[in-house]
Amino acid sequence: MTDFIRFLEPQPAILSRRDAIVADLVDLLPKDCLIHAPRELVPFETDAFVSYRRVPLAVALPRTTEEVAAVMRYCHKYGVPVVPRGAGTSLSGGAIPQEDAVVLGLSKMSRILDIDLANRTATVQAGVTNLNISEAVSPEGFFYAPDPSSQLACTIGGNIGMNSGGAHCLKYGVTTNNLLGVRMVLVDGTVIELGGKHLDAGGYDLLGLVCGHEGQLGIVTEATVRLIAKPEGARPVLFGFETSEEAGSCVADVIGSGIIPVAIEFMDKPAIEICEAFAKAGYPLDVGALLIVEVEGSEAEMDAMLADIVEIARRHGVKTVRECQSATEAALIWKGRKSAFGATGRISDYICMDGTVPLSQLSYVLKKTSEIIDRFGLRVANVFHAGDGNMHPLILFNANDPDDAARAEQAGNEILKLCVDAGGCLTGEHGVGIEKRDLMTHQYGKVDLDQQMAVRAAFDPGWLLNPSKVFPLEGRPAA
Amino acid sequence: MQTNFTPAQLADPHVAESEKILRKCVHCGFCTATCPTYVTLGDELDSPRGRIYLIKDMLENGRAADEQVVKHIDRCLSCLACTTTCPSGVDYMHLVDHARAHIEKTYKRPLMNRLTRGVLAMVLPYPGRFRMALQLARLGRPLAPLFDRVTSLKPFAAMLRLAPKSVPPASASAQPAVHAANVAPNLTARGRVAILTGCAQPVLDPGINEATIALLTRLGIEVVVPQGEGCCGSLVHHMGREEQALAAARRNVDVWMREVETGGLDAVIITASGCGTTIKDYGHMLRLDPAYAEKAAQVSALAKDVTEYLATLDLPAHMPKGITVAYHSACSMQHGQKITLAPKQLLKAAGFTVRDPAEGHLCCGSAGTYNIMQPEISAQLKARKVRNIEATKPDIIATGNIGCITQIASGTGIPILHTVELLDWAYGGPRPAQLSAAKWASAGQPLGTPA
Amino acid sequence: MTDVFHPTTEAEAADLIRTHAEAGRALALFGGNSRSGFGNAVRAEAGLSAAGLSGIVAYNPAEMVITARAGTPVAEIEAALAANGQMMSFEPMDHRPLMGTDGEPTIGGVFAANVSGPRRFVAGAARDSLLGVRFVNGRGEIVRNGGRVMKNVTGLDLVKLLAGSHGTLGFLTEVTFRVLPVPKATETIVVSGLNDAEAAHAMAAAMALSVEVSGAAHLPESVKGRFAGGALPDGEATVLRLEGLPSSVAVRAEKLGAAMAPFGAVGRLDMATSLSLWREIRDVLPYADGTKRPIWRVSVAPSAGHQLVAALRLEAGIDAFYDWQGGLVWMRMEADPEAALVRRYIKALGGGHATLMRASEKTRAATPAFEPQPAPVAVLSARVKEKFDPQAIFNPGKMG
Repeated sequence: MTDFIRFLEPQPAILSRRDAIVADLVDLLPKDCLIHAPRELVPFETDAFVSYRRVPLAVALPRTTEEVAAVMRYCHKYGVPVVPRGAGTSLSGGAIPQEDAVVLGLSKMSRILDIDLANRTATVQAGVTNLNISEAVSPEGFFYAPDPSSQLACTIGGNIGMNSGGAHCLKYGVTTNNLLGVRMVLVDGTVIELGGKHLDAGGYDLLGLVCGHEGQLGIVTEATVRLIAKPEGARPVLFGFETSEEAGSCVADVIGSGIIPVAIEFMDKPAIEICEAFAKAGYPLDVGALLIVEVEGSEAEMDAMLADIVEIARRHGVKTVRECQSATEAALIWKGRKSAFGATGRISDYICMDGTVPLSQLSYVLKKTSEIIDRFGLRVANVFHAGDGNMHPLILFNANDPDDAARAEQAGNEILKLCVDAGGCLTGEHGVGIEKRDLMTHQYGKVDLDQQMAVRAAFDPGWLLNPSKVFPLEGRPAA
Repeated sequence: MQTNFTPAQLADPHVAESEKILRKCVHCGFCTATCPTYVTLGDELDSPRGRIYLIKDMLENGRAADEQVVKHIDRCLSCLACTTTCPSGVDYMHLVDHARAHIEKTYKRPLMNRLTRGVLAMVLPYPGRFRMALQLARLGRPLAPLFDRVTSLKPFAAMLRLAPKSVPPASASAQPAVHAANVAPNLTARGRVAILTGCAQPVLDPGINEATIALLTRLGIEVVVPQGEGCCGSLVHHMGREEQALAAARRNVDVWMREVETGGLDAVIITASGCGTTIKDYGHMLRLDPAYAEKAAQVSALAKDVTEYLATLDLPAHMPKGITVAYHSACSMQHGQKITLAPKQLLKAAGFTVRDPAEGHLCCGSAGTYNIMQPEISAQLKARKVRNIEATKPDIIATGNIGCITQIASGTGIPILHTVELLDWAYGGPRPAQLSAAKWASAGQPLGTPA
Repeated sequence: MTDVFHPTTEAEAADLIRTHAEAGRALALFGGNSRSGFGNAVRAEAGLSAAGLSGIVAYNPAEMVITARAGTPVAEIEAALAANGQMMSFEPMDHRPLMGTDGEPTIGGVFAANVSGPRRFVAGAARDSLLGVRFVNGRGEIVRNGGRVMKNVTGLDLVKLLAGSHGTLGFLTEVTFRVLPVPKATETIVVSGLNDAEAAHAMAAAMALSVEVSGAAHLPESVKGRFAGGALPDGEATVLRLEGLPSSVAVRAEKLGAAMAPFGAVGRLDMATSLSLWREIRDVLPYADGTKRPIWRVSVAPSAGHQLVAALRLEAGIDAFYDWQGGLVWMRMEADPEAALVRRYIKALGGGHATLMRASEKTRAATPAFEPQPAPVAVLSARVKEKFDPQAIFNPGKMG
């Protein structure tokens, strides 16, 4: 555990009332829906950003919107901070609690409420996993498009919190482009509904604002999402290059030529080796960088598009081109890619960066990244969504060596600043969370941040919701 | 993931091993999604990631197990779906094994819980005692609703409900013998294998090993039922009774090594995948025992699920029979032993139409003694499993583990058989008794017709 | 309006706004005024136009991203994009013919009103393409949000909030948005002779196919003749657009045509006819009649559109046609806008949003243009507004 990033100091007035708060919450919720034994709280102390950990005051696992509202009313009344949690897969520490907070977990709210194929919508409880939605409508030929790599486990509530993307959002957009409505509980327990099965809602686009709110504007308990008819066919193709720079410039040229594949994923040599070891997908091991390019449509359409892409890749010195031959093979190729972060755990601890850069800067940023990593004496594996410039350098380090961990964190900060300086941003899909909070001033000026915090305060004037996250602790308005 | 053990703690080889396992976990949370208890209860403490964290916290602090840790570890089915899912290669099986042994050593369970577990450990691994218990259970069945009303007695209610209405007579297939290969007198057998008799399976369904022996000998394999074999030890192993489990393992290693040294063995055939997972782990379980480490590893390498072995024998392909089989992959088969394709390919080759029910990765809730110790979660998983299986509209359900057979059979009217019983039928054996003559006499083509 | 300011720099605009805020003087914010009838009447003495803030700031076709100052004419953007084979995928409607306005539509206006067209139901509205904004808030501060990359979740998404805020939260000075290649081929499948309910079924069936329909409209008999120069076949016309590579469109057109055959007679429109047809649908051509008869733009679940019209027909004189698979209903009322009736039925059919796009001055003064919000949402929206424009000087009254 490193301690560069401060959390808000726990409020003694709340810690001292711990037993009373727990007793009250036990009364508010059904049996087995409140966790408060010290031992049982420890597993909730972090999410997938394990560098930071804080054991919460209690964990509430409500089953209904009404129960969520009851917990919120109580916490609002007594000024108890609340940290929402979906599946706890955040890579930016979005679900890491704090000592004086109640974790509000949505994991018991995992029912699919309505599937309406005529209107191509699904309405689900917030704890339903991303993949569950697609699986539920797959037999009817539909899917839910945003596909974060953690889609097996992450919840739609978490996806809304972080406006999650994924490999296929190059064509289909991210969560905000696929979200039609939410039911949410405001900080004082008021339940509101935004949007619905219709497209244009009236008034301010609060739905657009809520998407990506990182659990700071309320607790989303239900969501209505857009479904899309599955394409006739989809084909991932592997393009192996000698160097990362070649692969990077090939990506820019493909997009520049007006061809928009469904996905363009990038892996460098370390990442290829890691993913191949887990998925045995047949990634070429003799190349320096790999692009997974997926096209979809009819056979003729895919052939035509691929011919153009191959032509461009040749101009960039592509070494191997391998078309996948079967659905099983395609599934393995994606399994390897989507498991890349976890599979890295086989060889090392890591922290995962998430900066996005303009495509023209891709090669430059890759080069600079490796310089930074070298300077800190670390190793890196790059695996990311190249088509939209969303980079994921995985900085490898030894978590049991405090010095190593510190250097990894510092190198990460430099890489993210590099992304901003190259015209990009700190985070493309993982969210600011705790991880990138103190870098926000590098991307935004004081007025910009003040305006965002003012909007935040319109929802949560007392800063009770996930209060340690997103906005630097210095320069916050007085509550 | 960062760990925090002292060098003194790491001197214990079990702790050292657990530390190594914990270091691989990156806390990504993927495992929660495929964990049957998490999807049922929606509480991370009842997920692999939560349990790993509870275990880590307990071991790092060198603490005795307590009520909370035990509750969540006890709820683990050991289905190992998490291990299949985990991209980081976290060896959850050996971590939870260690935790269970630690619990057994450091935690005193409530009286009724101890009693139940004691009864199970004393009865189930011994076919004679088990048969007697089942006969008693038949008489005690009306008491089940009464037991249900008292939490600590619920396991007994579950036991009574699970007990079959009639207990088949003891089978000759369980007696030590050498079953000669069915080959012309001047030819030698294609192979020689030992078969694990098992403990509960031959009592509940002796037909499985009978079919196995019949099929293998018909295929030219000599099958030995060695003298002195016993329960594989899995049942007590999952209760954390390490010494008892290791004793069982050593005894079986001795028996099979004697066969290896005398007549030679190509494989030790196992027809219950739960046992297979444990026997394949003998090498690991006995790794710290210098006298047994090597022999145990050799036995583990010889251990083969019957379908795994049959897949090497190149069985002829048959014409489609028009019979739809839903294949239920036991957790110990798919997650424990990673055998996923062979059973389905064998069934398809034999002419059955094979269906994969949805959520095939989820446990049916049987999980050894789980359906007795955790009847509520088990019942929910059973209902979910049966719903998914029935949605495929099968004529027959096939699986490779007696626990699943008993569990699923108690929730559906569709006949459920061991994969090998269907294969034996397809390759010249008699129609399994569960399939009534009226319905199956006219089922598609005559069986055993090569394509 | 006594004064209309035309700042030519962001700083100048900020100064103007600051002085007005300090004096508590309201400002009517606009671009080219071509959508001035959108929303409720503004109560302001002075006007602030973005027209002076004009010009494309950066456009890198290879990155499919363009940055322009808010007052840049839409026509200028379209020309620059077209020169590079690109377009705004959300097909912003030109409101002038329908609303009887003139003036030059600006890109800032497109985003301030979150304008879209027929592709909206698959490709999103203007807000879905908008990546970054610069604006002056009601305190006269210059605020930046978002950026110029496709994926960006850094901080709160004020970009979405500004889109569709009709100049009530901030004075947009610069917008950065995503553009897409122009499809090389466009074709339209016409299914003829379906009534509204049958058309809804047919369109839902089309959207369930893997043919990527990018436009789905139903044109009843009353309006059909006005489209495509009268070239549509006999009977009501249910039109389905396919776009993409020529070879692919041809294949998909075959597949879609075959799937639609059981619903009714199937015909095909070539590229030129298709392009003008969908532009006419976008701009609501049949109701661009030079009158002030009330026009409703109703957004509901696609399956509810025809039910709404059927229910209203029993009680009011209306004419209607459908876009977005039936989820966008354009309704022209004979005389009275029947606001209460329209809104009651929308609610009964599962909710949605009705905007009064056009009506006489008198009617507009008496009828809120936008769907009234439930109390807690209205309270929240008012609090948000207050955080941007504490003196309430931007477009007072516009959004109700």
